[in-house]
Amino acid sequence: MTRVSLALLACALVAACAAPAKKTAEAVPGPGEVRSAAAARALISPGKSTKAEVRAALGEPVAVDFASGYEVWVYREMAERRANELVLLFAPTGTVSKARIRAGAPPSAGAGRSSG
Amino acid sequence: MASLPLCALLAFLPVLAWAQDPRPDDAVVVTAVRNPVDKSYRRMLRGMETFEKRKRDLAPNATLRFKLLPRRTGTKFDTVNLELVGDSFATPIEVAADNTFTVPRDRLAVKENASVQADRKELTMTWRADVRSPGLPPGVRRLGDLRLECAVGMEAGLISNSRTGIGRLARYLFDSADYCERPRNRYLFFADRPVFNVTLVSGDRREDLPVERLYAGATVDPDWKRDLAYCDCEVLIDRTYFMPLGDRSWPDDTLVYFEYMDDDPR
Repeated sequence: MTRVSLALLACALVAACAAPAKKTAEAVPGPGEVRSAAAARALISPGKSTKAEVRAALGEPVAVDFASGYEVWVYREMAERRANELVLLFAPTGTVSKARIRAGAPPSAGAGRSSG
Repeated sequence: MASLPLCALLAFLPVLAWAQDPRPDDAVVVTAVRNPVDKSYRRMLRGMETFEKRKRDLAPNATLRFKLLPRRTGTKFDTVNLELVGDSFATPIEVAADNTFTVPRDRLAVKENASVQADRKELTMTWRADVRSPGLPPGVRRLGDLRLECAVGMEAGLISNSRTGIGRLARYLFDSADYCERPRNRYLFFADRPVFNVTLVSGDRREDLPVERLYAGATVDPDWKRDLAYCDCEVLIDRTYFMPLGDRSWPDDTLVYFEYMDDDPR
C-alpha cells in the first residue's frame, strides 16, 4: 500500500505541476493578445486590410488613436515573458498602412508606469 | 499611513512629464504676458554647464540648443517671441524657424535671477534640450546625444512640473541629471515627426524599441487618454519615445533610426 500511495502522490504532484501549462495552452487570447504574432501578421495586408477585417481576424486590439487620424493597434503573444508583439498602423483612411513584429519584448523592459 | 503618499508618489513619478495640473485655457488672462511660459535662467545655465562638462564623454562634436514644442492644441507656433527678463532689463532671444534657440551668458541676468519668457500662456508650450552631432542624415540620431539631452534637460528643469505638493516633491527627488542614468528612466523625447518604429543599431546588434516605449507608454496604460492632460506631450504623443539611456550595453555611438508614420511602406 505504501508503494501505491507514493505512486499516487507522485502522480498527483506531476498532474498539479502540469496543470498550469495545460491551462495556458488552452487559454483563449484576450484583448490585445494573439497566440502567434507571425501567424497574425500573415493575415494582414498593408494597404488593404481594414479595421473591421483586422478585428474580425485577430480580435480586439490594444489601440491608441491620435488626433492626426492615425491609429496604432498592438497584439502581444500570450507569453508571460519576452512576448513578440505585432504592431499595426492604420492610416486616416482606415486601412493598415504599416505592420511590424517586434521580437521578444519583455513586458516590463523599462516600461510600465510603475518603473522608476 | 505616512508611507501611503510616498507609494502613490513613487508609482506616479517615473513619468516626470505626466505631472501638471490640467487647466482650462480660460484660466489665464493674457495681457502683455501675464502668466507666461517661463523658465529659470539660472537653471538653464546649469543645463548649459552640464552640457560642457559631459560633452567630451557623451557627444564630443555636438552643439546644444534649446527647443520649444507645442503642448496645447491651437497654440500658434510660427511667431513665438522669447525674452530674457530680469528686474532691470528685457533682452530679446532669437528663435530659429525650427523653434530652437540659444541662451546668452549674462552676469546681470544671473544676479537678478532672470527668467526666459515666451509670449504664450503657461501650459501651452514645453521645452527640451536639443543636442546634435554633425553628419547624421535625417531620421537618425545618436544615443550619446540623447543621453546628453536628458542630462541637460533635467538639470535645466525644462520639463513642465506640477505646482501641486506632489509635483514639488517629485522635482526635489528626481529633477536632476542622475535620473537619466537610471536603467528604467522615462525621460520623454520627441521625434521630428510621428513615429512608427525606433531602432537602435550598434555594430551587428539591432533592436527595435518595445511599443510600450513609444507614445508615452499609452499601450500599457488603459487610462492614457485621461492622463494625457497631465503630460507635456499632450498634442505630440505620437512623436514621443523613451530610450534605454541607462543601459550601458548600448554605447554612446549607437545610432537611433526612426521610421515615421508617413514614410513610404517598407
